[in-house]
Amino acid sequence: MKEPVNTPSLTDRVLGWGTFLAVTVALYLVFMWVPNEKIQGPVSKIIYFHIASAWLAFFAFFVVMVCSIIYLKTKDLKWDIISYASAEIGVLFTTIVLVTGPIWGRASWNAWWTWDHRLTTTLILWFIYIAYLMIRSSFNEEEKKARFSAVFGIIGFIDVPIVWMSIRWWRTIHPNIVSSGGFAMDPSMVQTLLVSLGAFTLLYFYLLRKGILIQKMRSEFELLKQELGTGR
Amino acid sequence: MEYLFAAYMIIWVLIFGYVLTLGKREKQLQEDIFVLKKYLSNNDKKS
Amino acid sequence: MHMLTGIRAIVQKDLAAEFRTRELLSSMLVFAVLTIIVFVFAFDPTKAVIRQVFPGMVWVCFIFAAVLGLNRSFVSEKTNDCITGLILCPVDRSVIYFGKLTANFIYVTIVEIVTLPLFAVLFNYKIPLQAVPALVLVIFLGTLGFTAVGTFLAALSSNARSSEVLLPVILFPVTVPVVLGAVQATAAILSGALTAEWVSWVKILGAFDAVFLVVPFVLFEYVLDM
Repeated sequence: MKEPVNTPSLTDRVLGWGTFLAVTVALYLVFMWVPNEKIQGPVSKIIYFHIASAWLAFFAFFVVMVCSIIYLKTKDLKWDIISYASAEIGVLFTTIVLVTGPIWGRASWNAWWTWDHRLTTTLILWFIYIAYLMIRSSFNEEEKKARFSAVFGIIGFIDVPIVWMSIRWWRTIHPNIVSSGGFAMDPSMVQTLLVSLGAFTLLYFYLLRKGILIQKMRSEFELLKQELGTGR
Repeated sequence: MEYLFAAYMIIWVLIFGYVLTLGKREKQLQEDIFVLKKYLSNNDKKS
Repeated sequence: MHMLTGIRAIVQKDLAAEFRTRELLSSMLVFAVLTIIVFVFAFDPTKAVIRQVFPGMVWVCFIFAAVLGLNRSFVSEKTNDCITGLILCPVDRSVIYFGKLTANFIYVTIVEIVTLPLFAVLFNYKIPLQAVPALVLVIFLGTLGFTAVGTFLAALSSNARSSEVLLPVILFPVTVPVVLGAVQATAAILSGALTAEWVSWVKILGAFDAVFLVVPFVLFEYVLDM
């Protein structure tokens, strides 16, 4: 028996290269093509990937909720695997948003952190899905892990609009010293932003497929271990 | 300017870090599964 | 009607068990009072700044005491496998949820009734009499929202290996709107602000309560499934 070399399927390869290409194009557009925003200068280029990450994180959490609902309906572990992979990616990109947000804020408002309602909601979102991952890691049985995390995945997502509303209301009565201000969008900026969004969406699906593959391998591994344990 | 640089550095470090850990996990699991399969097939031959 | 009798039975069972030992309520109370003492040491009670942070302190105290009680709510049913008995009751799962919620709500309310006057006395804080009805409304809504989510997540985390640690971590992010709303509304009411200033917070609290009282109807059966 030879050690197997994992050959990625055609879809994976196409998706991988497509992602690579799209991200390269997006980077080119961001750094070479799009003009600087007039007031903020080169720092404004952060927003393309900042917004793209925020979009991706939110999309990932939406997928978590949808797959959680389907899992509770069908009890098919396949959907749980998708939720898990998606939640992990979501947390990663929320982290990116939380890191790039303050850097941009520091450059344009001269303060690392303002309790701006978008940034604050993102922070709470991050904590909610960290909690989701912690729930997953505190159960051993696959079925329980899947069921409880699915329930939390739904609750967490339902909670997001309420968090958003309450934090926005909180900010309106305690006005920001620094206003986030409008951002005059040139058509070329919109195009760049759209390409970045597209590239990150591809990246999401690439990472998701990879995560799903790993989870499947893990369950295969557990199965083999059990087989060994029963002693044939 | 350095802020822009820092932001993109962090973005890429995080994404690549994640891709690398995924790759590592995959490889580790592959090896583990391979070892187990070999072990199981050896057992089969003996019995 | 059947549902109400079921809920009442569970509440009676919980309260009877509790008032025999009083272990939960007494530790919640002692803990809440200790929190006040810690606050007294942490912030000098003679300073004017107390007026601003008072609502925040009150709610931090309530919430910490509530978490203490919520943690025991389902874990205590694990001994002698009482939870299986509960699940086998010929009632809808949501009845168990609402029974537990009512019991928890009663415990937290008792703690609040005891600690709020103590807070006022120890910090020498005058609560204006005409603010009391509004205050009661906000405390009611805030406590309801917190215990509604708390009871649900306590049932969820009671199955975990380290449920005592897990519960606060998963509960606090979800209840951010309640904490924010309750503290802000309390602050506005205590400072004698116009009704318009806190009524939208009450709306947010109400919306949160409504959502998280409906959600368990659908989802609680998955949490309690064996």
